Amino acid sequence: MQRHRIFLTGVGGQGTLTSTRLLALAAMDAGLDVVSGEIHGMAQRGGVVESTVLLGGFTSPKISPGEADILLGFEPLEALRALPMLMQGGFAAVSTDPIPPLSSALEREPYPPLETLCAPIREWAGKAVFIPCHALGVAAGNPQSANTVLLGAACAAGAFPFDMAAMEAAITKHLPPKIVDVNLAALRLGADALCG
Amino acid sequence: MGKELLDKEGGARHFLLGNEAIVRGALEAGVDMVTCYPGTPSSEVPDTFFRLSPQGPYRFEYSVNEKVALEVGAGASLAGARTFVTMKHVGVNVAADPLLTLAYVGSPGGFVLLSADDPGSHSSQNEQDNRWYARLAGLPCIEPGTAQECKDFTRAAMELSLTFGQPVLLRTTTRVNHVRGPVTFAALPEKTPPAPFVKNPFRYVPLPASARAMRLALLDKLDALSAAADISPLNVVSGQGTIGFVASGICRAYLHDALFETGLAGTVKVLDLGFSHPLPKNLIADFAEGLDALVVLEEVDPIVEEEIRALFQRRGISTAVVGKGEILPRFGEYSPEIVEGAVRAACGLPAREKTLYAVPADLPRRPPNMCAGCPHRASYHAVRQVFGDEPVYSSDIGCYTLGIQPPLSCADFLFCMGSSVSAGSGFAAVSGRPVVAFIGDSTFFHSGITGLINAVAGGHELLLVILDNRTTGMTGHQPHPGVDHTIFGEFSSKVDLAGLVAACGVTPVRVNPFNHKATVAALTDLKEQSGVRVLIAEAPCPIHARKVKIARKTPPAQVAGDPAKCLACRDALACPAFTMVEGVFTINAESCSGCMYCVQLSPEIKARKKDG
Repeated sequence: MQRHRIFLTGVGGQGTLTSTRLLALAAMDAGLDVVSGEIHGMAQRGGVVESTVLLGGFTSPKISPGEADILLGFEPLEALRALPMLMQGGFAAVSTDPIPPLSSALEREPYPPLETLCAPIREWAGKAVFIPCHALGVAAGNPQSANTVLLGAACAAGAFPFDMAAMEAAITKHLPPKIVDVNLAALRLGADALCG
Repeated sequence: MGKELLDKEGGARHFLLGNEAIVRGALEAGVDMVTCYPGTPSSEVPDTFFRLSPQGPYRFEYSVNEKVALEVGAGASLAGARTFVTMKHVGVNVAADPLLTLAYVGSPGGFVLLSADDPGSHSSQNEQDNRWYARLAGLPCIEPGTAQECKDFTRAAMELSLTFGQPVLLRTTTRVNHVRGPVTFAALPEKTPPAPFVKNPFRYVPLPASARAMRLALLDKLDALSAAADISPLNVVSGQGTIGFVASGICRAYLHDALFETGLAGTVKVLDLGFSHPLPKNLIADFAEGLDALVVLEEVDPIVEEEIRALFQRRGISTAVVGKGEILPRFGEYSPEIVEGAVRAACGLPAREKTLYAVPADLPRRPPNMCAGCPHRASYHAVRQVFGDEPVYSSDIGCYTLGIQPPLSCADFLFCMGSSVSAGSGFAAVSGRPVVAFIGDSTFFHSGITGLINAVAGGHELLLVILDNRTTGMTGHQPHPGVDHTIFGEFSSKVDLAGLVAACGVTPVRVNPFNHKATVAALTDLKEQSGVRVLIAEAPCPIHARKVKIARKTPPAQVAGDPAKCLACRDALACPAFTMVEGVFTINAESCSGCMYCVQLSPEIKARKKDG
């Protein structure tokens, strides 16, 4: 069985851990061996949230630097900060919607221009996709579904060892009924963004 | 994960957090009584028990602190209940007094203590290794490494406790508590009534004469437990070869993956140590036979390593022991990479070359911060306005420790839960400098109150600000004795915080910290007074308020006037709802909670009109 190490990063409050769980459940329902890890604690307080999903027979929930095959960045600055986790030539899917940290709002540490964040990712990864997740989440019906947009794009790019139908099934089975349709739409918009 | 954890039938497979699997394991062990004090990374265990408690076949409580949790649990076990007590690693320090006598007295009904350690200090003030407590107190120690084992080993720990009538330490680490993986359930047992307590004071009261006998009995039990560890199914030998690895906890997962990566699986010997104290001496001596070197993989302190060195010395075994002095670090977490490095070094393989992307050094940092609408930010701002840099700020454990960040800069020193009051007293007594101590409501109940009684009785000089957000914020909004609401509605057994302070001999001043003028006036008054003074700054945590459905809908703030004139307010408050859009100050309406504190600081900021 092919093995995949997926590293996910975002900002507390974005729903990074919900997306992590959804991805892991999609893989488990598709019959893959799954282990996943996350660090909780002060995440609500706007810090960095990192999590992992490992597919295909790993025991460890932790990924060492340079060993992730796939990087999912729900925020562009955090995607660049996590780039050392990605092996050279790996796959990256990155949201292009900045969430400036407080130090940037206070003009102590300027938030870098988007291209400064994306260029090194494009160069380091074998394949990288950059998606305006927030706008597509809004188009799907709720900005909270922005993360699902990114999962849709990564899945449509063939990053995961399962297809869109498996992601759709996981959304339908595991998310609360009232947000299923929005997330199915978000998944589709993410996939379409890739083609367009 | 919801009510599935209470399913009576076995066989189902669920994707669980390690902490949820621990809950299922305790249920499969027929747990009757659960007590705890919350703390990362343990908190999802008690929180899950609490959420399920209306339907769960057990009694649950958030105890006032870890010592109380352990004592309530110890009494319950004497009365025949299968008892499970949970806390984070530093919490065991608070509970250490009863714990160190518990193994003398015994726990006939069954007793498992979960200690959730935090190597790497992800969310703790230190990375102490609580496996020492197993040695200090004379407890068997069980260490799961996967989600499935979190369930199975919790159950095994309770069964071991019942077999020996002794308390058992279930030791996890952050990575194990927060792993997620598939877990296959076994059936829940039919509950049996607890065995009645038969009075026998010289067995259960450790007077000096009986304590000496209890100590001897404990040493005998530890010998018997070592023999049990030798044959325990929790300790598994696999592979063949002249290099051996003894691994426990999450290190076993790293070793498993490292052996796969290097293609060495099966060509080295591995001892998966799930039952790690007392050391399975015969098993390890047998394991060492034919080995040239034995590598010990354990995080933080070299405990198993040194016990194995002592064992080999005693038994004349010449196998080289390799561990923390040689190729492995004595601090922080291990990782697949660190363990793979140790495997390669021990097996004579070259180190693996990796090219890593180097992150630019000047990326903006993103440290954790108090939320938008957090009442602590308002309290700190007012304290700084009245006191400035003159006093020394004695801090405590909670969300409010984040007040260490500028511009609030309201934390100068900290030891542990409750230390703000007592350490602040001592500092003021010697330095003569004014001290302002900050403590949360839950932490005050936990162990701040003893410091306050001491400060009053000892004639200390201190202003204590109780940052009362009506919940235990940092660890996930658990109830404490003073709360008004829980997730199940109004809390009926409330202990009145202000009345408690008054009974200690200080009439507290009470303010709503979001009322800037009143808070500054109260602080100005208190600054002029001497002795022990208490300000209770009371406003609910906005996340808690949403959870228990008491949040009032308030409109967000917006810049109504000149954004350039808001910069002083921005720099003084550093609220995460503040942002700069193309160089212009704005308030993010999605982030703003509508606390209206900034509105009182700047005439340029107003509440957003409904249609605006």
